[in-house]
Amino acid sequence: MTIELFKNENPYLPADNILQAAEKGLEVLNRYSKSASLNALKKQLGKYNNISPDRIVLSHGSDLLLREVINIFSNDRNIIRFSPSFFHVSINQSIKLINIKLSPPDFTINSGLLLSQLNEPTLIVIDNPNNPTGKLMLNDNLVEKILQNKNVLLLVDEAYYEFSGKSFVNLIEKYPNLAITRTMDKAFSLAGLRFGYLLMGDYFKEHFKDFPSYLATPSIFAAIEALKNKEYMVQNVKKILFEVKKIEDNLLKIGIQYFSGHANFILVKTEIPDFAIKLKKAGVLVRDLSDEWLNGYYRISVGLPEENEILLSMIKKIKNNT
Amino acid sequence: MKKIGLIVNPIAGMGGSVGLKGTDGNTYKKALKLGAKPTTPQRIEETLALIKRKDLCFIVAPGKMGEDYLKKYDFKYEVVSTTIGETTSADDTKRIVKEMLNKNIDLLIFVGGDGTARDVYDVLGLSIPVIGIPSGVKMFSPVFALSTYAAAEIIDKNSNQFIEKEVLDIDEDAFRKGKLGAKLYGYLRVPKNPSLLQNKKEPSNVTKPEAISKKEIAQYILGRIEPETFYILGPGTTLATISDVMGLKKTLLGIDAVNNGKLFGADLNEQALLKLMAIYKKIKIIVTPIGGNGFIFGRASKQFTPEVLKLVDKTDIIIVATEDKISRLECLRVDTGDVEVDKKLRGYVKVITGNKTETLIEVK
Repeated sequence: MTIELFKNENPYLPADNILQAAEKGLEVLNRYSKSASLNALKKQLGKYNNISPDRIVLSHGSDLLLREVINIFSNDRNIIRFSPSFFHVSINQSIKLINIKLSPPDFTINSGLLLSQLNEPTLIVIDNPNNPTGKLMLNDNLVEKILQNKNVLLLVDEAYYEFSGKSFVNLIEKYPNLAITRTMDKAFSLAGLRFGYLLMGDYFKEHFKDFPSYLATPSIFAAIEALKNKEYMVQNVKKILFEVKKIEDNLLKIGIQYFSGHANFILVKTEIPDFAIKLKKAGVLVRDLSDEWLNGYYRISVGLPEENEILLSMIKKIKNNT
Repeated sequence: MKKIGLIVNPIAGMGGSVGLKGTDGNTYKKALKLGAKPTTPQRIEETLALIKRKDLCFIVAPGKMGEDYLKKYDFKYEVVSTTIGETTSADDTKRIVKEMLNKNIDLLIFVGGDGTARDVYDVLGLSIPVIGIPSGVKMFSPVFALSTYAAAEIIDKNSNQFIEKEVLDIDEDAFRKGKLGAKLYGYLRVPKNPSLLQNKKEPSNVTKPEAISKKEIAQYILGRIEPETFYILGPGTTLATISDVMGLKKTLLGIDAVNNGKLFGADLNEQALLKLMAIYKKIKIIVTPIGGNGFIFGRASKQFTPEVLKLVDKTDIIIVATEDKISRLECLRVDTGDVEVDKKLRGYVKVITGNKTETLIEVK
């Protein structure tokens, strides 16, 4: 059996009540989803994020929202992104794209450098925590400094918010130029639904007035149910964070370098040749980042406790045979 | 049927275990005396055992330079008709690769280190893609596959995406004395390392193919050329593309000067550069990082000495690189040998990666 630890998925199945809610959605598959259901979902999300529902846009996956934001707002703006990051910014030729490279071992943003790049109208896209490093890239001070510049739009992806506990949603009312993408793929164990949403300041809100929400009814029902009973998610997040710590402690004992982060995955660096292939042969899939980033870096998603045990024993074996 | 050339440098890597840092020149005999054992056979056999494709025909070097390993496996093969002596040399490698070229191979697998890569480059240049299987002591050239597994994976996947990687010439004598001096020797075409895991969700951070990135960089530079300024172009294929677009023939490995659409000097050394800089006041240097560690000064382009670099303002140094290259670097590096010059060059710099794309990266 293969253990999949390469897509940052939640190893825990959704709770029974959530599965039942999704099944209820299946019963009315001949009908389009009802706006009343969409509104009910927005209401739940508003409650969950302590924000007015009219600041929320729903979408099939937060990636689509990101693309939409770039399409709408990049015409006469530079785009700043960070490398590495989860964002794939595919843009037309007329836009200036500035990549800021994050360097090991800290992978932190040089605030002065970033602020010095904001003399022209700019859209900054940033994941916080960052994928694949797991590092928190932003703090309140830097975010407020960025947002005080009216020429700048800031889009923060908080896909791993429930693991990091850090959000800038409290600044949405104050700053029209802030938007945040979220997903229920990760902490809520709903990756198969691909449900994401956008939380927006006033400037974004204006442009998203007519944005249609095409969501499948099973997705809406499951998401509402998950939000109503979020204790299940909270417990799973706790279990995963406990496992993160356990894996990190063991990696330290084995002698494998890792970078502490704030998500459900761990960034690992090792000179062991073919580390990912050796793990693959042992039935454990992890993400080899050498393909598009740096040699020797791997991202390991946290699995079930028993899966993590196998992972660690395989790493130990590989390390001892090297 | 895909024709694959296979050549093994049977002595590569022998110097490593006995602390000799290479087997170039006469060091090989010394390595033997010290009890060094060949490491190559195991490397190539690991790869051959992993290849699953059956539609391959190997064109292989005789005896211990290839055939001895291949015949243990169930592949179709043909031995190129040369004989080799007891000890093999760079000349053997070059002669045999030439014969393989005449047999119309589609791809060459070579097993060895930096020295073998240079011999292969001497014959092939950029004509035929290669896969280097690392087995030397020095493998500073980034032409080598990450491992024997990766090499087999590349062959099985029949990758048709290639990138140009540097072949470096490390001074072995200096290396033995603890110094690392490298010269850019040439470029080989190698397959892009394919993703070793299927179904990855995240798309690659690299958005542009290498050739397009290079053309865009050239467009960017061309759009900003100042007629009064002398441009000093460092080595590398990215810089060569810029001069190609200008309609000029640049030396691939040397440092050339360009002014007002004309090549003003080719393959300049330090003295020539200093002379040029004494006469002309408006000078800009365009460079690209060389090698896997991201050196912009102090490694492959020794002509840019501290004395030369002292005469240039940091803002007049333009750094260019393809997205693919820059995404694989932790940072850029300088090691000019002059602490003050290194200090001046350190910090965040802008690297042009396309017509409208740039990367801000730290120089260490």
